[in-house]
Amino acid sequence: METPESNAQLLSDCAPYVKFAKLDEMLALGRANSLWPLTFGLACCAIEMMAAGASRFDISRFGAEVFRPSPRQADLMIVAGTVNKKMAAAVKTLYDQMPEPKWVIAMGNCAISGGPFVFPGQYAVVEGVDKLFPVDVFIPGCPPRPEALIEGLLKLEEKLTGKRRWPTVKPE
Amino acid sequence: MIAKDAILSNGGANETFVLNLGPQHPATHGVLRVKMTMDGEYIVRAEPVCGYIHRMQEKMGENRTYAQFLPNTSRIDYLSAMTYTHGFVGAVERALKLQVPPRAEYIRVITSEMNRISSHLVWWGAFLLDLGGFTPLLYAFDDREKILDLLESITGSRLTYSYFRIGGVYNDVDDQFLKGTRAFVAQMRPRLKMYRSLVTDNIILRKRLIDIGPISKEMCRKYGATGPVIRGSGVPYDVRRVEPYSAYSEFDFVIPTREETDSMARYLVRMEEMVQSLRIIEQALDKLPAGPVMAEKVPRVLKLPAGDYCYATEAARGRFAVRIVSDGKEIPYRVKLRTPSLSNLSLFEEASAGMLLPDALALMGSLDLVIPDIDR
Amino acid sequence: MSTNEPQPKVDSAPPASPPAVPAPTAVVPPKPVAATAPRPAAPAQPPPPPAPPAPNPLAHLPLPFKGVDYAAKGYHADATVSPDLVVAVAEVLDKEGLSLDTITGVDWMAEGQMEVVYDYFHPAKALRVVVRTRIPRDNPEIASIHKVFPGANWHERETHDFFGIRFLGHPNLTPFLLPEDSDFHPLRKDYAP
Repeated sequence: METPESNAQLLSDCAPYVKFAKLDEMLALGRANSLWPLTFGLACCAIEMMAAGASRFDISRFGAEVFRPSPRQADLMIVAGTVNKKMAAAVKTLYDQMPEPKWVIAMGNCAISGGPFVFPGQYAVVEGVDKLFPVDVFIPGCPPRPEALIEGLLKLEEKLTGKRRWPTVKPE
Repeated sequence: MIAKDAILSNGGANETFVLNLGPQHPATHGVLRVKMTMDGEYIVRAEPVCGYIHRMQEKMGENRTYAQFLPNTSRIDYLSAMTYTHGFVGAVERALKLQVPPRAEYIRVITSEMNRISSHLVWWGAFLLDLGGFTPLLYAFDDREKILDLLESITGSRLTYSYFRIGGVYNDVDDQFLKGTRAFVAQMRPRLKMYRSLVTDNIILRKRLIDIGPISKEMCRKYGATGPVIRGSGVPYDVRRVEPYSAYSEFDFVIPTREETDSMARYLVRMEEMVQSLRIIEQALDKLPAGPVMAEKVPRVLKLPAGDYCYATEAARGRFAVRIVSDGKEIPYRVKLRTPSLSNLSLFEEASAGMLLPDALALMGSLDLVIPDIDR
Repeated sequence: MSTNEPQPKVDSAPPASPPAVPAPTAVVPPKPVAATAPRPAAPAQPPPPPAPPAPNPLAHLPLPFKGVDYAAKGYHADATVSPDLVVAVAEVLDKEGLSLDTITGVDWMAEGQMEVVYDYFHPAKALRVVVRTRIPRDNPEIASIHKVFPGANWHERETHDFFGIRFLGHPNLTPFLLPEDSDFHPLRKDYAP
């Protein structure tokens, strides 16, 4: 027979083995731990993104090594490189083609604000990909180190779940 | 390969469709779009459309002083950034008649050759990724990380170095770098042997590359193709040998050339180039002279005498040349960058006509393109 | 094109001249060795004799090439021709076995001219050749050399993108690096976005 006391006893017995949570939190945890990036390397930052996917830095530890070539199968767009006015329409189309929920990481100075290619009289570069669509995480650097990209991913996970699963490294 | 006329008569119907490759496709090449008119799986006409990563490098040359333009040079072809900085810095030094100290020249050679190896490793991994093999990418990036560690210890950067300055290099190498480079050379040679037995001698790779995408000597000459493309077609053209610059005339190395003109020839040329680069690095380490790493009297404000000055280097992809037109001011009047990938890709339309789509992609991978190199 | 002309015309604009050599000035005689010499000025060195002009590696061609000091400039031979001769020059250099390096333009706005520069290199020996020509800035047209060097196709498209120079006879003079609907030429000196 169920009583409040026996239920409470059951919960505390199960606690080491079973997690009870709201559905939203479960979904957020699942999404955060398996972000599938779209292969969207445009320029130099793409090489550091590839290095982050390779064996030394290994974003596979964070669940994000499955780079999908098709936007329909991806939920994270890492804009790595300079976005051109000629390319802007294609980038926007790719963003629109990604199904919800989707997130955007602007990797590198070019994606944040045009980077080193902004000068008076410039005619070709979109000064920051957030002029095209909303960005969740900005990773500065030219190019940012693969560790910086991983930190950006962890920040995105923190944005999704509200918790950060790896401790922040404080410089000594 | 099938003759163009035969394609359209296969199956009777004169129907072709346009297949768009890019500008977003697996990030190895960059943002290139190829409009392909296809007859089934055969390409009737492949027209590359460029400009999706045009970053106004030449216009910035007219808006930046000579020193301010240095970071741009690394970002034209970021995989082979040292040689591109070398081209620009060499043109300015030629114009100002600056004497670069021998130690700086040797350091430039060592770092350029290490950069060449790291660029070829990225090419190799990405090429095999295109052909369907995932593993070599991980091996290549593992070796590349060792090179990047060494270069980071003296330049501070992993990819876009801006290490060469006008008059020399800005930071001397230390014992840790020299020991580390020797250790790297020692462990890289057996790795290259392993790559040969693991990948180069692999029957699938051989069937994908042998006799695919022949590019004749004459086609190379007419389109201005250089680098492993022309060396894979039987012409031993290498800027380091034909127009020797920096300290290259003091080293003993072979220019790998193959006669077959197919994609396998270009592949083998690049693999052999890595071996030769290791040779050059070793000789440079043995003969590294002592001394300063920066020229003595580099003017604080750089103004080149009026006229035009050219300098050419052998980048990982081919011949990179800079032409600076100066009118005597602090800012160049015109900076023209002659990049190898543009000339190498310009022959793709003619070379890929009538090929199967996967073969055309193997051909494109064997050309080793970096698209910001084309668009600048 | 104009291959039946016996003597190619040289453009009226002065070709790039070799660096000017200072004219020999009067040599200051050394000061006499007297104890009462007011200020022992160092005797002026006589100026070095003018360097011999660089040899012209293309002297066997009926074209106005001049030898250039490679160490100073980075190329071996330089010619300034009139715009209607560029195709003929390209054909001659093609027969010599040279390859096309690049084609570009320079906007000399102050002189009202645009310069089109053709760079060639030889794939077997150290031979870098530059061919220049000048065309009026308000109507920049020049013949295309894509029939001689198919690689010129893209270089000419790019030069058209940047400067607005029209290459007559080009099969596809559409924007190459700029967006397909561009109508501006950014490397002109009077370009403002």
